[in-house]
Amino acid sequence: MTAVDIQLLGIKKSFHHRVKGIVRAVDDVSLTVEPGELFTLLGPSGCGKTTALRIIAGFENPDEGKILIAGRDMTSLMANSRNIGFVFQNYALFPHLTIHENVSYGLKVKRFSKAEIDKAVTEVLEMVGLRGYEHQFPHQISGGEQQRVALARAVVIQPNVLLFDEPLSNLDAKLRIYTRGEIRRLQQRLKITSIYVTHDQEEAMAISDRVVVMNQGKIVQAGSAEDLYFTPKTEFVAGFIGRMNALPGSVQIIQDNTVRVELFNHTYRIPLLDPELARAENLKAFIRPEFVNLHPGPTEGDFQGIVAERSFLGEKTEYLLLAGETRLTAVAYHASSGEAYLPGQKIGISLQEENIILLRNGGNK
Amino acid sequence: MPEVNIKARREMELNNLRKDPALLVSVTAIWVLLALFILFPLIRMLSIVFVQEGRITLSEISAALLGRNQLKALVNSLTLAFLVGVFGTLLGFIFAFTAVRSNLPRFWVRLLDASIILPLISPPFTTAIAMIFSFGRRGLITYELLGLKNFNVYGMHSTLFAETITFFPIAYLTLKAILAGIDPNVEDMAFSLGSSRRRVFRTVTLPLSLPGLANAFLLLFAASLADFATPLILAGNRFPVLPTEAYLQITGLYDLKGGAVLSFVLLIPAVAVFLLQRYLVGRKYFVTITGKAGAESSIKSVSNLFRTVLVVFCILFSLLILYFYVLLFYASVVQAFGANHTFTLKHYRVVFTEGLKSIKDTLIIAGIGMLAGGLYGVVVGYLVGKKRFPTRNAMEIVSLLNYSLPGTIVGIAYLIAFNDPPIMITGTALVIIACYVMRYGATGIRTTVAILQQIDPSIEEASASLGAGSITTFRRITIPLILPALFSGLGVVFIRSMTAISATIFLVSIRWILITVRILEKMTELELGVASAFSILVVAIVVIVTTGISRALSLLRNPGAPRLASVLGG
Repeated sequence: MTAVDIQLLGIKKSFHHRVKGIVRAVDDVSLTVEPGELFTLLGPSGCGKTTALRIIAGFENPDEGKILIAGRDMTSLMANSRNIGFVFQNYALFPHLTIHENVSYGLKVKRFSKAEIDKAVTEVLEMVGLRGYEHQFPHQISGGEQQRVALARAVVIQPNVLLFDEPLSNLDAKLRIYTRGEIRRLQQRLKITSIYVTHDQEEAMAISDRVVVMNQGKIVQAGSAEDLYFTPKTEFVAGFIGRMNALPGSVQIIQDNTVRVELFNHTYRIPLLDPELARAENLKAFIRPEFVNLHPGPTEGDFQGIVAERSFLGEKTEYLLLAGETRLTAVAYHASSGEAYLPGQKIGISLQEENIILLRNGGNK
Repeated sequence: MPEVNIKARREMELNNLRKDPALLVSVTAIWVLLALFILFPLIRMLSIVFVQEGRITLSEISAALLGRNQLKALVNSLTLAFLVGVFGTLLGFIFAFTAVRSNLPRFWVRLLDASIILPLISPPFTTAIAMIFSFGRRGLITYELLGLKNFNVYGMHSTLFAETITFFPIAYLTLKAILAGIDPNVEDMAFSLGSSRRRVFRTVTLPLSLPGLANAFLLLFAASLADFATPLILAGNRFPVLPTEAYLQITGLYDLKGGAVLSFVLLIPAVAVFLLQRYLVGRKYFVTITGKAGAESSIKSVSNLFRTVLVVFCILFSLLILYFYVLLFYASVVQAFGANHTFTLKHYRVVFTEGLKSIKDTLIIAGIGMLAGGLYGVVVGYLVGKKRFPTRNAMEIVSLLNYSLPGTIVGIAYLIAFNDPPIMITGTALVIIACYVMRYGATGIRTTVAILQQIDPSIEEASASLGAGSITTFRRITIPLILPALFSGLGVVFIRSMTAISATIFLVSIRWILITVRILEKMTELELGVASAFSILVVAIVVIVTTGISRALSLLRNPGAPRLASVLGG
């Protein structure tokens, strides 16, 4: 089976909320998912990502817009004729059916012969590592196993598209990391175009070919994990993917393609690559904690600071620094245990100009 | 904004009816049934009470209220109902608290359960008969044991005692669910914050079970208000209550109208309770069932001494109930209890010769009623709980009406409505079955609605995404999941059809007679041995059939299936 592409064209959906009034859950969302791609909708809860996914599945009708799968308009098609596999957050296994009956449900509906069904079910259970569980009931197996049954049930019908609605949120941390690898491997092996919804940026970056960040029903930015991390377009994306320190210094454009940032009597000159930013009147500078460099001597580095708090996290140590009134978070990855700074210690801080990120001030979307 | 919304919803509901012919047909059919067997009889009864010579009048009702006897009956009924509510709730709470909060050994839990289930599945006079055997003129306890010559068993004290024993299991089942739902962590938390055990109980456990207590009180109040069997035997002449007065008015004086007026007086507190209860249940209980049970509390919220007191009390009380049933059985196999204690099977011979017709009739009616009632409950429950159509709320309220009203009212209303053309079905099996179906099928409605609420909508969406159409989803997912509701509905209708009397006593005839009515006749003929034998037979049949249904329920492979006992409570 060849992989298909998915297109959303101007999808809109609003709900009536008892307190907030009309809520635009999905506000003019258009996107294209390439064939065979694992595409993630990432955003905080209530950003509209799940609603968008449910619209693609056909569980909700959009107020406006179109859904095209392999170029075919699916908008008015019922959920049961879209041939889409859906993995629910709570798995939604049929509690009265065995694992075998759960997985074979979709095949029985499609009237496959018993022999075909048994073969397909055996194969898919083998694939998710659940052979021998055929006659168990959902409540008799663990959460992680239920999750795999849900996955098996969705892929066994050979869907054109796989949709995942926060499938890992009910698992514990270790299992979450393991299972997301499993999902990724399975998806690549089957080459099914997939859309994955999560609020966990790490999960999104680990699993996806491409990520779309959503906020308040709108798409904020789309791109690969690296794009979003290194060149966020807004403060929201910068803060949602990874962490960000806002730098307090004044930002001045001195020429069309260079910016001067004054910070604690130190001047940084940063080349301005994005022409759109060059036109903006008010710019703000940011830096990620892992790019804040620390020096044991207070006079080393660009400016001085004091260690306020220190958290040892194993592979890294996190510091909260005070530079004047400004709080900066720094992360140090270190090889030996000797390189520790203690609270109260005065240290030098330096920033590399190429790591400073410039964003339009106040652009919160 | 809200108006637009309501309008849009109406539009949507109407559209559902237009688009879905199956929905239209079933909604229409249910409304025809509701109109015929719930609204029509009640309206006929209201018109008899309030319309005189073509004009609306209050004279009948005011005459009834001002008559000294009737007023006394009303006051007696309310007092009795209030006291039964208080004592029954208290007793139910003690039992529930003991069951949930003290680690009783299995055997004793079984004993408690058995003695609590027995009153729920017994014909109405069992406690009353046992009371007379124990405390009557030649009673086992009063005469033989204590040598009291003039102890009067008849009156309010006995009625109160017998009704409390008969109805407290309802409170027990309601409160047990509430108490079991309280996360022990919450109590542990209060304990760790330095509260004493008593303070934890007063400030945490009790407030959390308050809505349950109120609900249990109302259920018992309504049950006692409607009960007519116990006062008929035990109240005596000096303690008249409304349901028995209404019954005597009709059967004794052939005054249909007078009986209707009297039972109508009963309607007002009954409706008040119905509305109060809807309000209470409508508001959210504090206790939420998350399905994520907290760890079992290791610090028990009762001290060892107090626990022992509770357990001993409950066991003694259970033994008292069991003693009543043993006594009943004993009385059914001796010549004449209190006078001649030689073993005999003659009472059972009467039951299986003279009484055979009533057994056959009751089984036929209960059998048909069970199937029809179970189906009716699931269909109405599914419509009300799942579908969106105009008149849905009205359907829910009307469908629960006959269940909530005292049986006497329902019986008299049926008698008035179906005695004359256009629908003359008094004396047929149909009218009795209809009465049971509309009255007790309602429990099936509530169970179905409750189960439907528990089914996560994503389960049906999962079925759709796997390619199943709405009919396939209904057949393969929804029906199996609500099957437990059908079975428990079957059980409830069967038990009630075997044991009820308050409504159907007005509906029996020579052609169709019920065991419970036979028991009453034998009581009035003072053939207590035969009455006991009948009662034992009914208990036996109910135990066999409900065990069968429970087996069927446990065969259903549904982990969320409610147990039969939990259904009897509401």
